[in-house]
Amino acid sequence: MSRNNIKILPGALVCDESKLRGDITIGAGTIIHPCVNINAEAGPIIIGDSCLIEEQVSITHRLPFDQQEKENTPVMIIGSHNVFEVDCTVEAAKIGNSNVFEAKCYVGPRVTVSNGCTIGAGCRLTEEQILKENITVFGADCQMREAIDVPAKQTLQMDTLMKMLPNYHHIKKPNKKTDAFIKQI
Amino acid sequence: MPIYEASTEKLTVVLDIGAAFTKFGFSGEFSPRSIFRSEVYCKKTKKTRRIIDFETPEDLYDLLVEFIHKVYFKYALLSPKDRPIIVVESLLCPTLFRETLAKVLFVHYEVSTMLVLPSHLVAASSLPAETALVVDIGYKEGVVIPICYGMPIVQAWQALPIGSEAIHNNLRSLLTSNNTNIQNVTEKVIEDIKVKCCFVTKKYRAEQLGSSKPEITACPDVKYPLGGSDTIIVPGKCRERTFEVLYEEDNDHLCLSTMILDAILKVDMDLRQQLAENMLLIGGTTMIPGFKSRLKEELAKQLELDRYKTLKIQKFKFHTLPCKENYAAWLGAAIYGATELINMNGLSRENYLKDSHLPDWIDLKDTNRSL
Amino acid sequence: MAHICGPEVVKYACHCGLLRSISQLYFCRHCSKVRCSFCVCHEVDSIFCGKCSENIPSAEARVKKNRCSNCLVCPSCQQELWPRVAATKTSANPDEPKQVVKKMHYLLCQFCRWSSRDVGIPDQSSVTGFPDRENVYANRLQEVLDAYKAVVLAQKQAKENEKKKQRKKYLSYTDITGVTAAALRKRIGLPADRTHPLLKNKPKKPDNAVAVEEVDDLPEELFTEPVNLLEVTSVDQRLLYPEAQPVKMDKLFPVHKQLSIKRSLRCRACEHNVSKPEYNPNSVKFKIPLFAYYHIPDIRIVTVEPLRAGQTSELIIKFTNPTQHQTVVSFLEIALDEPEEPEIKEVEETMDSLNIQEKQHASLPSMTSTSQPSSLLSLGSHRQPMITIKPRQIFQTLNSTVEIPTSTFILPPRDDAAEFDDSGDTHNIQDDPKLVKWRKSNKAFIRLSVTPQEGLELKTEIVCGFAMKHLYTNTIFTQQPQKYEHKVKVFLTLGNLVGSE
Repeated sequence: MSRNNIKILPGALVCDESKLRGDITIGAGTIIHPCVNINAEAGPIIIGDSCLIEEQVSITHRLPFDQQEKENTPVMIIGSHNVFEVDCTVEAAKIGNSNVFEAKCYVGPRVTVSNGCTIGAGCRLTEEQILKENITVFGADCQMREAIDVPAKQTLQMDTLMKMLPNYHHIKKPNKKTDAFIKQI
Repeated sequence: MPIYEASTEKLTVVLDIGAAFTKFGFSGEFSPRSIFRSEVYCKKTKKTRRIIDFETPEDLYDLLVEFIHKVYFKYALLSPKDRPIIVVESLLCPTLFRETLAKVLFVHYEVSTMLVLPSHLVAASSLPAETALVVDIGYKEGVVIPICYGMPIVQAWQALPIGSEAIHNNLRSLLTSNNTNIQNVTEKVIEDIKVKCCFVTKKYRAEQLGSSKPEITACPDVKYPLGGSDTIIVPGKCRERTFEVLYEEDNDHLCLSTMILDAILKVDMDLRQQLAENMLLIGGTTMIPGFKSRLKEELAKQLELDRYKTLKIQKFKFHTLPCKENYAAWLGAAIYGATELINMNGLSRENYLKDSHLPDWIDLKDTNRSL
Repeated sequence: MAHICGPEVVKYACHCGLLRSISQLYFCRHCSKVRCSFCVCHEVDSIFCGKCSENIPSAEARVKKNRCSNCLVCPSCQQELWPRVAATKTSANPDEPKQVVKKMHYLLCQFCRWSSRDVGIPDQSSVTGFPDRENVYANRLQEVLDAYKAVVLAQKQAKENEKKKQRKKYLSYTDITGVTAAALRKRIGLPADRTHPLLKNKPKKPDNAVAVEEVDDLPEELFTEPVNLLEVTSVDQRLLYPEAQPVKMDKLFPVHKQLSIKRSLRCRACEHNVSKPEYNPNSVKFKIPLFAYYHIPDIRIVTVEPLRAGQTSELIIKFTNPTQHQTVVSFLEIALDEPEEPEIKEVEETMDSLNIQEKQHASLPSMTSTSQPSSLLSLGSHRQPMITIKPRQIFQTLNSTVEIPTSTFILPPRDDAAEFDDSGDTHNIQDDPKLVKWRKSNKAFIRLSVTPQEGLELKTEIVCGFAMKHLYTNTIFTQQPQKYEHKVKVFLTLGNLVGSE
């Protein structure tokens, strides 16, 4: 296993108690609660700007068995303005922008999430599929429907957390300059 | 004088208990308040049970008690006691079912009056049409009964087990070749696939797709996601051939089209053309797109055969209902219920308790009394 | 709560023969019988909306078609819709110096994210003002309905005339003289024809329904275009709106929320309430709570020795007296075949006579009901006779025997203060040490011995049963509480057989 290489961009708020393993890049304005588990097992994870990752969330970069042989290590990319609610498990390798993963949902590694999707509470998506834009998955049998626009942004909540969390938790210091990040890309 | 009774309108529950869905509403209204599945939740086994799956007469009684409770206290929000009720039923309804229902209503729920209306007759009344050939295709079976001048011609009845249950079974077997786990899928999912993907295709297309080397391409396949973990592939061929079970002749060479023509054959010669020009399709299955046009095609084909040469019918005409097909019978009963009929023809609790029996056309005792 | 709602291992036999746990039973104090939801009469007590918790009088509910006028339900997933404030709009008039801020609302489902904007419903200025749709066939159907009413009315009139004619046994004036009624009316100067006012203005007969030969063909694109499952509605979504039954997602409209009810339960035999809820929808309390839990000793299994076929095991059960009066409990052999005892030995005389009356109803329902004149109009004032359903046989097989103890034991009354009192038992009760293992305040732990039948297979569920007789003190009559013995059959599911001899 490669050693930890955590890059935190300025403006991100990462709690010290969170368990981050592997090569992880965290974008500006992203909030990571304590007890979050991010595991870059199979390759780097890049998390975009202003994502909200709540308690007990587990984001794992794990390759399906049939793809493990490949030479080049794939990167798990999570776009910006995504919300990961309490106790959801996400293993999807490609996630676009403005998605909501509701509490206790599970998204498997073969799923590709585009933009503006909502995965309802407790829904389990394991089948290989590409979720089109603004898809809402809900209910016990994972019904789908197309929403009219992207879910509302959690700006207010995130502003409060930005102020509140540092008062009660140790914070990991940002260790990258914005310029460096841009160059890297 | 009791003439003014009608103005002080009493809420009368109108109930049409179908094998799959129950239509519930009040008399004098033009659409049912709600349509829901004819099933109850069993607390012991924690499963929903359909009423038609009853095991013993006692079991049916308990199921109906539970079900009527749901109707009154979840939907009607009324106490059933001392209130009239109108029940729509098929003329071919099993005696056990209707007697048990009457017992539940009169003894357990103590309704004051019960009026039983034959579904085929009342369905025609919503048009209104005095003469019509009513084709009712429900869940268990399709039943054809001609109505002539307001009288159901019962001796001309025709029935075949070609309801949506047969269609679901057909769809399930059609899907088996492309999907492995289809036998374990619930009937609700099969029904959903039917409703969302399938339609009654044209006759020549059906014949082509049925042959080994079709000259046409079937409609596009559909990928139906199943609970986030599985996908059912619904091939275009299945989508078009699901309803073919209606027109596949069985061992007795009977299918939907022959059933209709046989019913016409059984009525008086002078009425035949009139019936053919007053076709009325009711029941949920007839709502599927393409149903009417295919039926017309099939009827025309059957007329060319020797079997029906004697009919001498030139054309078929179809009525358009002022409502959706699946609650046509309910609507007719709701219209009947708004009239004085319930007070005149309804069976009161006193009369029921005299001999614990619901009058029936099939019973000689009741038919003699009315004559 | 787990001990009340938990696994039903202890079941009591209701008077009607059904087995229920004690939390599901009622106890009618007036006829001193155990009742369950199956053998009481349910009545609608009050109607309320489950979302806004507002009480709605039944007349209003009737007008509103049993739906809440304020709350709407999502047509996609049947969850409740919540109004959302959209961007506040300023008045369009730029000349006015003072800009009027106008709040606009739309509806959003928090579950599936359906919103009223999905189907193009314009945002509304008020939260409740979302438009309803009307039945397109309403006019036509009204015509049909009126015509039918007239036809049936005419029929009824004809029938009544017939009756009148039959009644006339004597010769009428017109018959003797040969002067017809019409001629007579003419002579005395009345209008010639006198029909009923309702019959006179006959509604016009609706046009005959026209059947057409042409039928809609399938659209060609169905054969070539792929189906977008996201645009097609499911059966449940269609049936939510029976009038329209929309096939496409973009035709879904919000539906008003179905109202809920609170039920009151009435004993069928004596017509007294056994349960009546409070009027306030938010209250979970009852005005009349005659639950069996408050009147009949509660039995719980404490321990059972491992059950072996043919071998006697010790069973310890706990009895709790929920009443304010001391009671004496004794055991009797259970007899499954005989139905519930028709009469309960009691001292109260009026009660006795009451019961006899009811029993007559029960045994001869047809006799009593025929004595009542059939009249629909007098229903409100005059109650129809009660029909009591004959108790059914208890459906439960027993595969073990309980050794019925001959001695009885006393259960002291419930004392809420005793829970905080550590001074120990103040009751000085002489117990049979073989029967009573231990006791505290109103509880007693009883030792019984159970023998599963021989030859049973491993893992068979063992059920034993006995009849419990306890002294019940009825406080319903204020002068003096009445005491009598009440009997109830109890069934215990003890668990599975672990071995044979």
